[in-house]
Amino acid sequence: MKSYAGKILRINLSDGRVSREEISEEMRKKFLGGRGFAAKILWDEVKGVDPLTDGNKIVFSTGPLSGLPLPSSGKMVIASKSPLTGGYGDGNIGSMAALHLRRAGYDVLIVEGKSESPCYIAIQDEKVEILDARDIWGMMTFEAQDNLEAKHGRNVGILLIGPAGENMVRFATVISQRGRAGGRPGMGAVMGSKNLKAVVVRGTGEIPVFDKGRLREMGREGYAEIKGKENYDFWVRQGTMQVFEWCNENSCLPTYNFREGSFRFSKQLDGYALEGVKVDRKGCPLCNMQCGNIIKDAENRDSELDYENVGMLGPNIGMDDLRKVGVLNRLADEYGLDTISMGSCLGFLMEASEKELIEARIEWGDFDACKKAIEDTVGKRGLGEIIFEGVRKASERVGGDSWDWAMHVKGLEVSAYNCHACPGMALSFGTSPIGAHHKDAWVISWEISTDRFSYSKEKVEKVIELQRLRGGWFESLTTCRLPWVEVDFGLHWYPKYLEAARGDGITQEEISELGDRIYTLIRSFWIRENRSWSREMDYPPSRWFEEPLNEGGLKGYTLDRARYDEMLSRYYEMRGWDEIGIPQKETLEGLGLGDVISVLGKNG
Amino acid sequence: MSSQSLGKMAEFRFLGYIAEIFGKKRVRISLGNLRKLRDILEVEFPEDRCIVLINQRVGNFDSLIRNGDKVVIMPMISGG
Repeated sequence: MKSYAGKILRINLSDGRVSREEISEEMRKKFLGGRGFAAKILWDEVKGVDPLTDGNKIVFSTGPLSGLPLPSSGKMVIASKSPLTGGYGDGNIGSMAALHLRRAGYDVLIVEGKSESPCYIAIQDEKVEILDARDIWGMMTFEAQDNLEAKHGRNVGILLIGPAGENMVRFATVISQRGRAGGRPGMGAVMGSKNLKAVVVRGTGEIPVFDKGRLREMGREGYAEIKGKENYDFWVRQGTMQVFEWCNENSCLPTYNFREGSFRFSKQLDGYALEGVKVDRKGCPLCNMQCGNIIKDAENRDSELDYENVGMLGPNIGMDDLRKVGVLNRLADEYGLDTISMGSCLGFLMEASEKELIEARIEWGDFDACKKAIEDTVGKRGLGEIIFEGVRKASERVGGDSWDWAMHVKGLEVSAYNCHACPGMALSFGTSPIGAHHKDAWVISWEISTDRFSYSKEKVEKVIELQRLRGGWFESLTTCRLPWVEVDFGLHWYPKYLEAARGDGITQEEISELGDRIYTLIRSFWIRENRSWSREMDYPPSRWFEEPLNEGGLKGYTLDRARYDEMLSRYYEMRGWDEIGIPQKETLEGLGLGDVISVLGKNG
Repeated sequence: MSSQSLGKMAEFRFLGYIAEIFGKKRVRISLGNLRKLRDILEVEFPEDRCIVLINQRVGNFDSLIRNGDKVVIMPMISGG
């Protein structure tokens, strides 16, 4: 089977050992790559450890299409046991590191143990070094990128952390190329806990593929098809920022800590406002629909905006100036903080302040106070002491009724979609395998186009279908889903790409089974690592059930808890999980996960 | 297509690249009788990539529109 470098590179930072292992044919068949590989490795190797100790491992994983000359394929997955949620955590990131790792001869890099002092890993093909990083420890991510490029040249891939990761802020991310970010559930904190500042990789080989000519030709056709799409030009202008107006119209915009779904000042922040201040675009390698919108922020620095960070650092905290949102976003990128969780934490603090649950005052839309709170989060002082472990822990500290409006699922902050009147999207958040993130199933558009208020069986089926495609297929290939989801690039291309790359095809049934296998394995990881697992862990925040929208066209709407519960039961049934969401023995056997059975207790 | 400023009219709004196709973000039109949305707007939209909401409820290009209706046509997008 081609299109794999065929090797895992394993580096132990405690003793400096470096080893290389073959990736078995069975592993490639059953788990494909990317997220599939990561989930399998973490299931096998990370058991019952504190995520911020040397027993945890961090996995950098590519897929069989990563780095090939195909649309938006410059991607990889970074996964670990999450210090934010205590469960499986991952994120994908667009980076030259994905290409270079594969060209260096590795599909996967596993880092384990802990270095005694700050270090970084430098890989050049066969040569692997663990180098001193004391001179760059403490540096912001952009500056550290510059420093490492000065040392190793610009023709490298770099993944690194900022001060947030070093200080183990639980929602610290990994950053690449000055603004590409990945690993929301604290993947940057895991690197920090290992004293690992960066991974620098350069590969000079060629990724082996089955039919190079056909692949290149089909890649060219794919790029051309994308450019010819009728909404391509609009995408180039606004990117994901077109979602802002759409969400505001549909009462889905995160506003005032998700109290509301529309924002009075939305026109100051939407895609058209962006067009007025945009100076450039930026994106991942091998992509011809770059999604990063560069603006000059209120401090005249470049800031890369997309919908999620504007949603969460704009209306969610009552901020009505796009250039100021740009500053907060850029600070988060420089410190290496997740912008979604940071926005949620700031919204949480503002509401806690308004309700006088904390002594300090931080008003909605207070720009200077937000800047200070971000800096204090990284330093774990002042207001930062309350929120550096995310809103779930913050609500334990603050008390009162804050549990109801700490906007998270399983400890991961909800990304930028208000679900007061979107039961399907609420289920997507509730059952996402990393906590409340949108990448696995973004069902809102479909649900609004059908019947947004229903809790139907079809809606549950749609969530699972999207989870299979987005969370299973794309995350494991590993390529970006945006060409498909944003400009309607044909899904039929991907099995053809895989066949040309690997030499063997894949059927629709196998794609679905792959997604189900990965989901069930990740679910099993959660169960094993959380002995207090309960059905409530698949519930969205109480706010959406208990507090109606006060403004907009859907004033008065909430989710219905009993009907959500019915949907959840149906979801479990379709997945072959029991009444509290634990995979059943027959399901595990059917998916070839027999080794999981004995671990899961009564069901196994 | 007739557009008047007097009387109770139907309102049509367009989001995202659908507004580019129509050429405006908003238009108000006075309708004599109930008319199909498709016949009122006289523009070819990518119908399978559109969401039509009429007074906040799901409709389609065959839905009948009357004066006073508020119609929003927006793209099917998939949110990052």
